[in-house]
Amino acid sequence: MSEPSTPIVRKRATASRKKKRNQIPFGFLVFALMIVVGILLSMRESALGMFWLFGGCFGFILQKSRFCFTASMRDPCITGSTSVTKAVLVAFALTSIGFTAIKYSAFAAGQTIPGQSYIMPISIATAVGGILFGIGMVIAGGCASGTLMRVGEGFTMQMLALLFFVIGSLWGAKDMGWWTEHFIAGAPRVFLPDVFGWLGAIVLQLLIIACLFVAADLWERKKMGTTEGE
Amino acid sequence: MAEYELDCMGEACPIPLMKTEKKMETLVAGDVLVVHIDHSCAMKNVPEWARKQGFNVEVEEVDDGEWDVIIEK
Repeated sequence: MSEPSTPIVRKRATASRKKKRNQIPFGFLVFALMIVVGILLSMRESALGMFWLFGGCFGFILQKSRFCFTASMRDPCITGSTSVTKAVLVAFALTSIGFTAIKYSAFAAGQTIPGQSYIMPISIATAVGGILFGIGMVIAGGCASGTLMRVGEGFTMQMLALLFFVIGSLWGAKDMGWWTEHFIAGAPRVFLPDVFGWLGAIVLQLLIIACLFVAADLWERKKMGTTEGE
Repeated sequence: MAEYELDCMGEACPIPLMKTEKKMETLVAGDVLVVHIDHSCAMKNVPEWARKQGFNVEVEEVDDGEWDVIIEK
């Protein structure tokens, strides 16, 4: 769509508006505070400082980019827009390459591969949990990271969502042992490089992501009859 | 050339977008709809949806964390 050059004519003038407070000094103050806290944390334990730094960067990027996992799954159904879906797929592809690089370099050097404890069993519980989480995040207006980000922005409703998110997580953690024992324990754990080899695993994963990307693009064309940048 | 307003203050995604979609159906070409929002996510997806529909869109930050999305059908 070409941007029209003429501004929209509004009947009411929007002159009666509060003068905005300059937020830049606060920004610098918070930034300085974050550095101080980061230094204090890293003096306690070096890993803590790094977590703090990554957390801060992650939050900043998430807020500025308005990256939203909820929107990536929800918008295709509501409006047919898949721009966020495609962004998530690109992020998946990049992290796949990054994690393969980290894991393979450890494997090639004969060290223990990091993060192998995060390979979770696949069972019916995964699918059921996914559906429950999906329903919850659309109602709450954000997934875990999105909710945290909007609490930071000061959106009141999502503070409520965060409160119940914490309650739910605690409850889940309390009963996790029982669920693991009865439903999850017997399920298979799959580490793709064990099945397809290192190259096969990454190629297969990227191929699947590419197929999803094409599907998302076609979906948007079909539902909206157009796509961004046209 | 009527001007309508839609109050979506305090509404989380995707409510503002769905309300806008519904409201836009009732408008005729040339009408203007002003949507008041304070959810940062809606500040992105409402204009994006409207632009893809081929409407003329402007976003104004009225106050810290409050926006007016002005859509012309």
